[in-house]
Amino acid sequence: MDGRESLISAGASAATRNKRFIVWFFLLNLLLAWFGAAAFTANARSILDHSLYADKLLHGFDLAVFLEMIRRPEFGSARSSTAPSTLCAILFLLASLLFMPGVLLGYSSDHRISREEFFRACGHNLWRFVRLFVFYALIAGITAGILFGIQGALVTAVDDAANDDRLLFLTKALSIVAIFLISTAIRAWFDIAQTDAVLRDQTAVRRSITWAFRTTRRNIGSLLGTYILIAVLGLIVITAGIVIWHAIVPPSSVLGAFLVSQATLLLLLTMRFWQRASAVAFCVRQAADFVLPVREPASLEVLVISKS
Amino acid sequence: MNHRSRFVLYVLLLVASASYAQASNATLSIPATTSAINSSSPLSERVVHYEIEARYDAKTHTLDASEILTYHNLTGQAQDTFPFHLYLNGFQPNSTWVREARREGSRGEGFDRWDSQSYGAEEIKKFEVVDQGDLTSQLQFIHPDDDNKDDKTVVQVRLPKPIPADGYVQFKITWHDQFPKTVARTGWDRDAVLGGQWFPKIGVWWHGAWNCHQFHAYTEFFADFGVYDVKLTVPQNEVVGASGIETSIVKNSDGTKTVSYHGDDIHDFVWTASPHYRDYFDTFQSSMGPVRIRIMMQPAHWSQVGRHDHILKETMDRFERWYGPYPYKTITVVDPERGSESFGMEYPTFITAGTRWLEPDGLHFEVDETIEHEFGHQYWYGMVATNEFEDAWMDEGINQYTQDKVMSSIFGPSTSALDWWGVTGSEDGENIFFILGLADLDPIARNGWQYANSNTYGAITYGKTALVLRTLESIVGEDTMQQAMHTYFMRYRFTHPSKEDFLSNIEQVSGNNLRWYFNQAIYGTEVLDYGVWKVSSYPVDWYKEKLKEKKGQTEYVSNVWIQRKENFVTPIDVEIKFDNGEKVREHWDGQDRWVRYAYQKKAQVESVEVDPDHRYLFDRNNFNNSYLVKPKSSAAHKLENYWIFVSQFVAQFLAWWLV
Repeated sequence: MDGRESLISAGASAATRNKRFIVWFFLLNLLLAWFGAAAFTANARSILDHSLYADKLLHGFDLAVFLEMIRRPEFGSARSSTAPSTLCAILFLLASLLFMPGVLLGYSSDHRISREEFFRACGHNLWRFVRLFVFYALIAGITAGILFGIQGALVTAVDDAANDDRLLFLTKALSIVAIFLISTAIRAWFDIAQTDAVLRDQTAVRRSITWAFRTTRRNIGSLLGTYILIAVLGLIVITAGIVIWHAIVPPSSVLGAFLVSQATLLLLLTMRFWQRASAVAFCVRQAADFVLPVREPASLEVLVISKS
Repeated sequence: MNHRSRFVLYVLLLVASASYAQASNATLSIPATTSAINSSSPLSERVVHYEIEARYDAKTHTLDASEILTYHNLTGQAQDTFPFHLYLNGFQPNSTWVREARREGSRGEGFDRWDSQSYGAEEIKKFEVVDQGDLTSQLQFIHPDDDNKDDKTVVQVRLPKPIPADGYVQFKITWHDQFPKTVARTGWDRDAVLGGQWFPKIGVWWHGAWNCHQFHAYTEFFADFGVYDVKLTVPQNEVVGASGIETSIVKNSDGTKTVSYHGDDIHDFVWTASPHYRDYFDTFQSSMGPVRIRIMMQPAHWSQVGRHDHILKETMDRFERWYGPYPYKTITVVDPERGSESFGMEYPTFITAGTRWLEPDGLHFEVDETIEHEFGHQYWYGMVATNEFEDAWMDEGINQYTQDKVMSSIFGPSTSALDWWGVTGSEDGENIFFILGLADLDPIARNGWQYANSNTYGAITYGKTALVLRTLESIVGEDTMQQAMHTYFMRYRFTHPSKEDFLSNIEQVSGNNLRWYFNQAIYGTEVLDYGVWKVSSYPVDWYKEKLKEKKGQTEYVSNVWIQRKENFVTPIDVEIKFDNGEKVREHWDGQDRWVRYAYQKKAQVESVEVDPDHRYLFDRNNFNNSYLVKPKSSAAHKLENYWIFVSQFVAQFLAWWLV
């Protein structure tokens, strides 16, 4: 990696070199969501497939007809539709936790890591990542609780006192931005800690957390700037995707809607992987003692072949 | 003095006192003023004249006031007992209003715990009857609806001397109000106040009895027409709006000002004050004369004043053309404080709306619909002054029906309620959603406070009534229905019509006996649900071996079964479409529980639709009204795509922040 390159472009290069990670995670995301939607689809089909009234949902989206559908007894309870999707979202979360070490290893490498290296990294770091997740959940949860508590009190105070709802809106917006910034900083801190745990092969995750905290604090400007910029791009991506979906895709085009929505989600996922790749690039520059994967020499391959 | 002499003397005294009373009351009258209406003569039979002087204390949200109420006894008989509403007493922990709201909820108020700011009170300090003296000690709280001894929303007085038929009586009342933080369309929010139902108001003599119900959690109001002259004293920084026309503003030396209002042919008086209101004025040209539009906006919402003005004028235009003229000289629209419970309410010549700083244009069901709806009440409540306690559907439901018509006319039938980012909604759809699952709990014709709960009150009085009238429109014809509504308005404006007045008017105008419909839809709880039960087509030569079916050549026997799944009986059309494009229409009287239609054609049934013209809008299940033999899964897949998109987004969002 070029030390003069900005974090953003270094991250972009690493993410581009390892597109397959994004593609696999995207496919997993899609597959799980599709499984999760099976109950909803079956319920909807039982009501819509033989009814002309369904045209109001196909050639447009009549909200009252949709609500009428989900309130039909034959549609089943809301839980029967939402529970599988929730479960699949949690599965995606767990899968992300499981496979992220391999992704981080891949981003730190200047070559395409092998499948074995990928899965070895995943298995090797699983327990560390679980512990990091617990630490993160505690720190981020407590911080978010405090921040949202302060925000609630602030908003209530402004709501009680101010007649002008622009002031209330401004209060809400600024406090949300503040919470977002702090949350992003914590996320970046733990992204660095995860990277450290993988690349330094750090057994004691508290050392990774401590090192990551110091390093993040020292470089908060560049790191947070990178994360925020990519997050804003993510926001633009999702907004643009929905605008395009609404403006270009005819209401009855199921395939068109599928393609636009999935392209949007693929790009959104890319943004997160871009952040990850940027964090890896940042770590590699910060620590010289990382054990980066190296390309194995060709003679070794010959040796292996001759052994077999 | 013997008994006979005593009796003669007593009779003489009684006659003398009655004559005196009549002689003294002969000078009383209800003014025939017309300065607040575009008419040279009064429009209503004026029963009351309220002259009120009130001083509002903005710091304590209290009001001290006195009123002189002149009442014209048009009951046709002598009266010695008069009931009065004291609505603000409804906001007390043991009142009927709060008990019902705690039990069933009311407009967002659950009363899981008592908030002292919700307390309201209306305390009579002095009650005097001209020529009959101070009767304060004679006042008695009564509870005609539920015998709740703690309810103080109706007070009654018995006069020592009865008021003869066609006589007048004058009450002089001094009272003190404590306004609650807005509950049920009255009270204060921050430094603003909306004074609704704030003065002692006499009941209505209706159908041979006093009609003066307690204040209930869902029901609204009922009062006689008359003249209002009101003087409000408020701090000088307040911007004041009220029913009627403003006649003067006098600045007082104590930092207050007194604003005077006059109203003709109205049956209630409301006012509002806030230092923040920003005024906008416009004029609507009614066929009776110009109407001054005043829109009192919150400064933060000023960019939406044009939207308020537009929907108001479009609505007034349609009411004017379809139902009849708006005769008042003013209409005031108030944009209340953010989060106020005073949003979306009607009073004579005065309505409240409610919006937000960021209010998308396509959400018609919010501010546009609210303004339309509340203006509609100027007709269905304001002028056609039905009994909102007993016949809530006649103001809310009829108004919901005309709202459907007006909103569809302005924004289009399929986008009349919502048109935002490809998501649409119609007024009919909104009403259908209202009644799902609640259609058979209460009949439309029921006392407002006797509905099962606030949900059925809302669903039936608003939603079901609107759908029943929209359906009636397709039964008698749209033009006939419009003519019937016009006739109803012109015939019953400035009166208190009953439900039968409304229903028989439609029968009269349409020339149809519609009892079969009214008995089920208005007086009954019958539920309408017709559906396609099953469909089959098989070749006539089905028994032949190696039968080869060819489209257009093979002959089929087809059967179609239609079912009446619920107990609402009505004739209904059925359309059967065959796969050669041929369509067959059948008409079923709907008397039996099911019917079967059989055909022998060189085509198979492609689809069947019950009520193909979509005339019956309160069918409980619209999905079973049609049946496609070959399923089309596009709609379900479209929804599946939405569901997957949202699921993926949620999963990505969680993973983004948690891992």
